[in-house]
Amino acid sequence: MEWFRNLPEMDLMRSEKMTSVQLIIPVESAHRAVSYLGELGLLQFRDLNDDKSPFQRTFVNQVKRCAEMSRKLRFLKDQIHKAGLLASDLPALKPDVDLEALEVQLVEHEHELTEMNANSEKLQQTYNELLEFKMVLQKAGGFLVSGKSYETAEGTELDENVYPSDYPDSVSLLEQATQSGPSNTSGLRFISGIIAKSKVLLFERMLFRATRGNLLFNQAPADDLIMDHISSEMVEKTIFVVFFSGEQAKTKILKICEAFGANCYPVPEDLTKQAQITQEVMLRLSELETTLDVGIRHRNVALHSIGVHLTTWINMVKRENAVFDTLNMLNFDVTKKCLVGEGWCPIFAKPQIQEALQRATFDSSSQVGIIFHTMDPVESPPTYFRTNTFTNAYQEIVDAYGVAKYQEANPAVYTVITFPFLFAVMFGDWGHGICLLLGALVLIARERKLSSQKLGSFMEMLFGGRYALLLMSLFSIYCGLIYNEFFSVPYHIFGKSAYKCRDASCGDAYTVGLIKYRDAYPFGVDPSWRGSRSELPFLNSLKMKMSILFGVAQMNLGIMLSYFNSIFFNNSLDIRYQFVPQMIFLNSLFGYLSLLIIIKWCTGSQADLYHVMIYMFLSPFDDLGENELFWGQRPLQILLLLSALVAVPWMLFPKPFILRKLHAERFQGRTYGVLRSSEIDLDSEPGSARHHEEEFNFSEVFVHQMIHSIEFVLGSVSNTASYLRLWALSLAHSELSTVFYEKVLLLAWGYENILIRIVGLVVFAFATAFILLMMETLSAFLHALRLHWVEFQNKFYGGDGYKFKPFSFAALADDED
Amino acid sequence: MGFVVTTLVFAAIGILASLCARICCNKGPSANLFHLTLVITATVCCWLMWAIVYLAQMNPLIVPILSEGE
Repeated sequence: MEWFRNLPEMDLMRSEKMTSVQLIIPVESAHRAVSYLGELGLLQFRDLNDDKSPFQRTFVNQVKRCAEMSRKLRFLKDQIHKAGLLASDLPALKPDVDLEALEVQLVEHEHELTEMNANSEKLQQTYNELLEFKMVLQKAGGFLVSGKSYETAEGTELDENVYPSDYPDSVSLLEQATQSGPSNTSGLRFISGIIAKSKVLLFERMLFRATRGNLLFNQAPADDLIMDHISSEMVEKTIFVVFFSGEQAKTKILKICEAFGANCYPVPEDLTKQAQITQEVMLRLSELETTLDVGIRHRNVALHSIGVHLTTWINMVKRENAVFDTLNMLNFDVTKKCLVGEGWCPIFAKPQIQEALQRATFDSSSQVGIIFHTMDPVESPPTYFRTNTFTNAYQEIVDAYGVAKYQEANPAVYTVITFPFLFAVMFGDWGHGICLLLGALVLIARERKLSSQKLGSFMEMLFGGRYALLLMSLFSIYCGLIYNEFFSVPYHIFGKSAYKCRDASCGDAYTVGLIKYRDAYPFGVDPSWRGSRSELPFLNSLKMKMSILFGVAQMNLGIMLSYFNSIFFNNSLDIRYQFVPQMIFLNSLFGYLSLLIIIKWCTGSQADLYHVMIYMFLSPFDDLGENELFWGQRPLQILLLLSALVAVPWMLFPKPFILRKLHAERFQGRTYGVLRSSEIDLDSEPGSARHHEEEFNFSEVFVHQMIHSIEFVLGSVSNTASYLRLWALSLAHSELSTVFYEKVLLLAWGYENILIRIVGLVVFAFATAFILLMMETLSAFLHALRLHWVEFQNKFYGGDGYKFKPFSFAALADDED
Repeated sequence: MGFVVTTLVFAAIGILASLCARICCNKGPSANLFHLTLVITATVCCWLMWAIVYLAQMNPLIVPILSEGE
């Protein structure tokens, strides 16, 4: 026992020792001190201003400013993204830009950028209009010319919508147009414009209805696509010219144009004027183009110069935000010159924190040093385990169920090995294990590259568990060798099979079977079993008994861990009235069953273990007859039954009574003391959470103990049976594997055709990869997890602690994602 | 006899593995104890698995009966 106590402490077994600390910081060094503590990342601040709303806190203005700055930064980032420039991926440098200066700079940049954007918007719009005008000029000019040259009865290349003879009015208009000279002499006027192609038909029909057919509508498609500034896409547009007469028609047409979003542009009839205006428009267009280009380039230069610093600034603002949030958690003391903070830190970190605080005092040239001292803890400390990349995955698995109470035994220590092992028991196939191993090795080899990338949530989980996957695959290979399954095919790796035919002709082999002529196959399941008719009865019996043995072993480990917990917390009551009866109960029933299994295997007896166990309870005094496995079995069974029966009230009754006695002893002297000091104390808040409860609610404690005992007693049967899932899943895996091998691969290989063989191979590969490697992995993972979380951990784990979350800048970067 | 010999082989492998762990990653008493725990747990699990399967086949109650396909 002495040697046992002298073993060094294992860090991962129990939480780091934490201590509650208090900081008194003078105001001038507060900001710097908190920043340095953030870089160190080993102190968790307690929020002393819990009851205040966010607007009542001290540094609310600074927080608002930081939020405003981060909004501006997001806007800048958006703009850079929209302009198609890549944000520079330089790592964030140490920020030496002052926050105030940064704020001013950001305001400037944002203003500049918004202005540039507005200007280029306007320019773009003008450019579009001019472009449309140019096209209208080109095409409409053609209409007007052709209208004049109609006399020459030349065909035109343009589409002319001349209405058929049902509408004699329009025809007469056209005749009028052709017969007369310049159009304006007959009162015929026109409107030219441009409209989106999709609306042209409706537009035309509308115009026709509105003017009662008294119009001539010419249209021609535009050559280029034009940017529609509302939807910012390129649309096809059509140029139209409407000939009409009369003032009313004109207003109607204009209104309809407006409604349909058609832009009207005045086109002069005179050819020379047309040419002149066209030239002017072209000139202005080219000017605008250059202006626009210059504008865009200017903006891109500005964005680029911002983009270089953007990551640094974003990080800086995030840090400042975090610092001010933390400062908001501190309290001003009475003199309003210092900030008082409370928190938790691990004991080993105290010197480092002390050093950081001294540096802060020095750097801010404050006259007064920062006071840093330990305090008596008010509540239970947070739990902190120092994990490395290997143990981190397992600690997260354990924490997902519940974070360990401060300083209780951490199941992760054993989970590192037993979890992949139980996974492998359910997954056992060394061919599949090799595939998993390759996957895990790929993930580990590209560790550095993948850890800096942003991965999808599924890949993130897979990458995080790469070391767990590695162990799972190694154990799977081992279990696969033991089950003798390589993609469900057995091999004679470890020597000859132990079975052979009874005679040379092997005639009996199909009726009575082979005989065992040598010692058992040295490593694993004998290869002769695969494919035989009695394979399933043998393997089922083997795997079920194996599951029971593993289950009893793991549950005993759990109870032993509860023993270690009781020793650590000096709880001898728990040892005597919980650990001992629990051990006795579990082992006299299921430990005895395990013993029977092993004896039956060693002696080769034909005893029926179901019968033995059931009649141990029903008629323990009866003669065992042919179910007797060893001498003295009957008295032993009676003894074990009695011990189990005694153990139940042993774990149920004594503890509450003794607790009540202890409580009475402890507070016998106290009650007088309390009376002397104040009479009011006794009546106020009897159930409050003080250090030691004045009230001892006996019925509550008794019910709690009863629930605990019943849970254990009934749970011992159900948990042992629960371990049978090890058998069930390994059977399912083996059967699936066999089916895919025999019914897909072998079937396809039986044909001579190379195409069928390839198809069979491909189907086999896909089925193996998706169903066996992915689905079965997840399934076995889940069940192994359940076995740990419920059957193993409910023997000893409290799991009602909370995790240590220090104020750390490094954690901020992870938080953002 | 085969059982005892192979058990000793497992024990030897376990001791060898713990020595290797001590030589390769000697990172202080707490980490050493942790590595030792891991190695011992793994050895015990693997040995248990092998032993169960071996014991089950030492005195079997049924023998393989070949099916028609073979």
